[in-house]
Amino acid sequence: MKFIMNYIRREEWSPYIAGILLGIVGVLAVWVSDSLLGASGAFQNFAGYVVRALTPPEVFAKNVYFNFIMRPEITWGVVLLIGIMIGGFLGALSSQTFRFRAQDDEQWKKVFGSQLWKRWGLLFVGAIILEYGAGIAGGCTSGLAISGGMLLAPAAFLFIGGMFMSGILTALIIYRKNY
Amino acid sequence: MNYLLAGVLGIFFGFSLNKAGLTKYHKIINVFRFTDLAVLKFMMTALVVSMSGLYILRGLGLITFPNIPATYIVGNLVGGLIFGIGMALAGY
Repeated sequence: MKFIMNYIRREEWSPYIAGILLGIVGVLAVWVSDSLLGASGAFQNFAGYVVRALTPPEVFAKNVYFNFIMRPEITWGVVLLIGIMIGGFLGALSSQTFRFRAQDDEQWKKVFGSQLWKRWGLLFVGAIILEYGAGIAGGCTSGLAISGGMLLAPAAFLFIGGMFMSGILTALIIYRKNY
Repeated sequence: MNYLLAGVLGIFFGFSLNKAGLTKYHKIINVFRFTDLAVLKFMMTALVVSMSGLYILRGLGLITFPNIPATYIVGNLVGGLIFGIGMALAGY
C-alpha cells in the first residue's frame, strides 16, 4: 500500500502505467456513458459561445459550422475537459510540482533562448494551427487517434500517420542543427 | 448523472496525462525528434488496453459501440498534417 502511494506521488510514471490508466478510462467512457473521450471538440463548443456573443444574430444564423457541427452548448465533452484540467492540477499537486511559470521548459530555453514573446507567440500560432487541423480531421489526439483507434476506425490511423509525418518535418525545420 | 461521470473520467484522464509527462513541452517535441518516445508508448498502451477492453466487452454483449468517427480519407489526412505542424510548434 505504501509502495503504491509513493508511486502515485512520483512526478513521472512509466508511460505504460499511465497508458493503462487512460485505456481503462477510455473503456469506461464507452461502457458507462456511451461517449468517446475527446478534448478539441469542447474547445470548439466553447468558441461557439464566443462567436455567438461577438457576431450579430442574423450573421451567426448563417454560420454552418457553429450551428450544425459544433453548437455552442455544454456537452459531455465540455464537462470532461473541465475534469481533465482538474485532474492535471491534482496530478501536479500530488507530485508537488505545481507552480505558475511564464517560461515553462528548460529544453526550449536551451534551443531558442529565453525570450518570452517567442515562446508565447509560437505557442499561440501553434495552438491555432492545431485546433484548425483538429476541426478538419474531426478530432484531436484523444478524440480521434485514441478514441477512434480503439474502435479500429480507419480515420484514426490516417490521422496518426499525418500527424507524425508533419510533426517530424516541422520539428526538423525548427530545430535544424539541434535536431 | 452522465455529466458527473464525465467529470470523474476527466479527472482520471488529466491525471494520467500529467503523470505520463504529456503536459510538458519537451515530451511532445522529443517524440518528433526520436529522443524520447514516452508519448508514443503512452498512446499505444492506451490504445491496446482500451481496444482489447472494448472488444471483450462487446463480445460478452455488455456494450454496443457508439458511432465510430467518420472516414474522409483526404479530410483526416490533411487534418492530421495540419495538426502535426501545430503540435510541433506549440508542443502541447
